[in-house]
Amino acid sequence: MKAREVEGLEPGEPLRPNAARIVNTRLGELRALIEPALDPGAAEAQHDLRIAAKRLRYVLEITGLCFGEEATAARRAARQLQGILGEIHDCDVMLPGAAGIESLQALLRTHRALLFRRFNELVQAQASAGVWAALERSLQ
Amino acid sequence: MARARKVELDCEEPFSLAAARVVGVRAAEVFEHAEGVLDLEDTERVHDMRVATRRLRAAMEVFEPCFPRKRHRKALKRVKALADALGERRDRDVTIGALEGMAGELREGDRDALAALVEARREEQRKANEELAPFVAPKRLRKLRRRLDELVEAAR
Repeated sequence: MKAREVEGLEPGEPLRPNAARIVNTRLGELRALIEPALDPGAAEAQHDLRIAAKRLRYVLEITGLCFGEEATAARRAARQLQGILGEIHDCDVMLPGAAGIESLQALLRTHRALLFRRFNELVQAQASAGVWAALERSLQ
Repeated sequence: MARARKVELDCEEPFSLAAARVVGVRAAEVFEHAEGVLDLEDTERVHDMRVATRRLRAAMEVFEPCFPRKRHRKALKRVKALADALGERRDRDVTIGALEGMAGELREGDRDALAALVEARREEQRKANEELAPFVAPKRLRKLRRRLDELVEAAR
């Protein structure tokens, strides 16, 4: 999944407004991908969301200091998403190789289902806590 | 996993100066982790260098408009190629570890098949390591380092 280009960046202008534009774009990408990834079988959407979480996390690691505690909370949230979606992706990658090894396939499927449930709970918890909305407000 | 070094930034300083500082530090970290990455017995080394490369790539992408376009594109292409080669090796390391970790939970009759699967992944791991070798050769890394130093200098 290609990252959306960020418009209006100015190298001679201060870090903060430039960083705000980048974070805002990456946050928009992540938010748009949450809903499609909540379908248990949507492996590609989950993979795309993982990449979006990674991109947001990295930009916040670099520029988060300009946006206060909201950025710290969002960076942690993105990292959590990235982590659990990474484990789901690992299962998806291993499953084809497990063809013909019945108990390994069953184990991977059970593990994936468990991880997906945790992912779903995490998304709901992050939405309830208003992590993404708070980050968006901190960019103003 | 190696922690990223803290880079002191001022939110009011020019974007391009922040770019030079962050990319300079992240580039140095990549080369600090280059030693022993081809060691198949110590998988943490390749992991650390991969993470450092990923952080450098992210910084180069965030600060892209601060660098001369052509030089940035060439340097990023080389960083991505290094990251991909490290990733191919790392993916095999992770898969082998995960499969071996599951052995005890499998049915007795499936364990030989699992051992064969692990061996196939080990073969891929050796191949990925061979393909990684030229990317981490000292001469190639020195060239990449020079390229990145020049890029950082251009942003100041």
